[in-house]
Amino acid sequence: MSQRKITFIQAVREAFQEEMRRDERVFVLGQDVQAGIFGTTSGLVREFGQERVINTPICESATVGAALGAAMTGMRPVVQIMFGDFNYMAMEITANQAGQWHYISDGALRAPMVIETPSGARGGAGYGHSQSLEAAFILPPGLKVAVPSTPYDAKGLLKSAIRDDNPVLFFEHRRLLTQRGPVPEEEYLIPLGQADVKREGRDVTLVAVSATVQKALRAAEELSRRGVEVEVIDPRTLVPLDKETIFRSLQKTYRLVVVEEGRRRGGFGAELSATAMDEWFDYLDAPVQRLGAISAPLPYSPVLEAACIPSEEDIVHAVLRVLGEEE
Amino acid sequence: MPLENGKLKELYRKMVTVRTLEQRVEQLVTAARIPCSGHFGTGQEAVGVGVSGPLRTDDYLFGTHRGFAEYIGKGMTPAEILTEYYGKATSLSRGRLGQHLLKVDIGVMPLPSSLGSEFGMAVGAALSSKLRGSGQVAVNLFGEGTAGQADFGPALEMASLWSLPLIFACNNNQYVELAHYRNVVATEDIAPRAAGYGVAYEIVDGNDITRVYEATERAVERARNGGGPMLLEFKTYRRGSHYTGDPGGYQPAEEIAAWAKKDPIDRCRERMLADGVWSEAEEQALRQAVQDEIDAAVQFAEESPYPDPATVYEHIYAQGGMSA
Repeated sequence: MSQRKITFIQAVREAFQEEMRRDERVFVLGQDVQAGIFGTTSGLVREFGQERVINTPICESATVGAALGAAMTGMRPVVQIMFGDFNYMAMEITANQAGQWHYISDGALRAPMVIETPSGARGGAGYGHSQSLEAAFILPPGLKVAVPSTPYDAKGLLKSAIRDDNPVLFFEHRRLLTQRGPVPEEEYLIPLGQADVKREGRDVTLVAVSATVQKALRAAEELSRRGVEVEVIDPRTLVPLDKETIFRSLQKTYRLVVVEEGRRRGGFGAELSATAMDEWFDYLDAPVQRLGAISAPLPYSPVLEAACIPSEEDIVHAVLRVLGEEE
Repeated sequence: MPLENGKLKELYRKMVTVRTLEQRVEQLVTAARIPCSGHFGTGQEAVGVGVSGPLRTDDYLFGTHRGFAEYIGKGMTPAEILTEYYGKATSLSRGRLGQHLLKVDIGVMPLPSSLGSEFGMAVGAALSSKLRGSGQVAVNLFGEGTAGQADFGPALEMASLWSLPLIFACNNNQYVELAHYRNVVATEDIAPRAAGYGVAYEIVDGNDITRVYEATERAVERARNGGGPMLLEFKTYRRGSHYTGDPGGYQPAEEIAAWAKKDPIDRCRERMLADGVWSEAEEQALRQAVQDEIDAAVQFAEESPYPDPATVYEHIYAQGGMSA
């Protein structure tokens, strides 16, 4: 692998370029995708033209509806929803329609589409531009949910999402967008449903979602200095979920911590904890620890916002609790 | 182009099929042979049949929840409809769709439970047709009540901005569920809303099959030739209830009677008889043939097995593409 380092934004843009060159059915639509509000689609219009990089009126539901209609009739659209929060405006189309018609048509229809959506708390964006809503898309059937945490994963997952025959939600945490990471020049894909062990360790299995992967890795360094070796697993997709990789780790550690920036109540951690109880009860030496945002709106002041979502320190304490070293 | 007699007879046959089938399904719903309720469109058959009449097999049709007119019009058969309503294994969806009639290979596209969610999908189908250069036209049939949905305006806007081959066809049957539409719709006409988005519109007598067909044909040809979208509003009247077994009583009897005199099937038949292109003998033969077809379809649906419960795990995700 080359040592080239590019930003998350560049990695996503390369995925668009490669897939649009490869398959003329792929096109992008959304608000300001020609200029590219966060940069992931910037410049695409120069290479692919306005027919394949389409600025839409401000209406998330009709835009996702248009993507769905195009997907059902032979195209492979990527629709950008500028902020993750705005997915609720299109939730009827995404949850009631996009994820369901393949099934209720008994396979006659397919919806190969991606919803690319920058999201997450980055300090000072307020209650309606900051939420991490990945878990809201676990509940409806028929959807897939990608939550990349590195430029490498973002590129490989987006390319797979575009080639997938199902609707895929692709969440891009805005704190990650300008971060750099190694991305090879040569083409690669990352299958949806394959977790990545970001750090190996023997004592505790720590599953972290999206931007919390970095917090988890820093917490793991801190814990290592105290003699605790944490295994950090990034599921990379919440649906489908690579349970095998998590279970393999648990068979070594017998202790599970899960952290996400989405709300703890009804969140991914709740689902994973229930899975652990259902399927891996004999491999748990302690109750699962789960961390997520409090069930309150995210307030504007960066100080208040930070108090709502899990910190590196919170993760350290959760690991110590699962080890019985703290109450 | 004026409607040819052969085509007119085909449309007439379809209208008779629709009404006969709807009456039969309503009996089957009432008798609890069919598990769902039903939404029927007695008196408005000319809209769905006339709108689907000029379409190519591969043109896209997004229909309404009310009745079978556009579905029979586009080419679905009574047996296909009945097996879906019965939820039987022999239905196209193997018991998954019920009232949400769908037949992708003849362009019958999704009918969402949440009415109006098809506005965006119809835009997408028309956009797809344009991007692929396939020459297909999309038609979105909807009721005057559904014009209140949030995506209606944006769909007109997108269709106009991108000059899409998309016909918005409003079936104004004057009743929105259990209320006269003027209780919940601010204007008498829906069609002029199109002007706000730069979309051409036309208001058409929805009880005249010839006018419905010809207006749609003009709009479809215009759209197919790159002329962009159009909104057609068909004025008609729903003589029946909103759903089978609804409380009723909200439609004045004299109003129903007045519209019964403008019945689209009667008007079509009387005109064909007056023009000498139809005879009582042909009428009797048609009625018998339609009845026989529906009897056979009911028997087929009744005798068909229910789906195997083990199939519920099939097709949750599409296989193929990069990963499953």
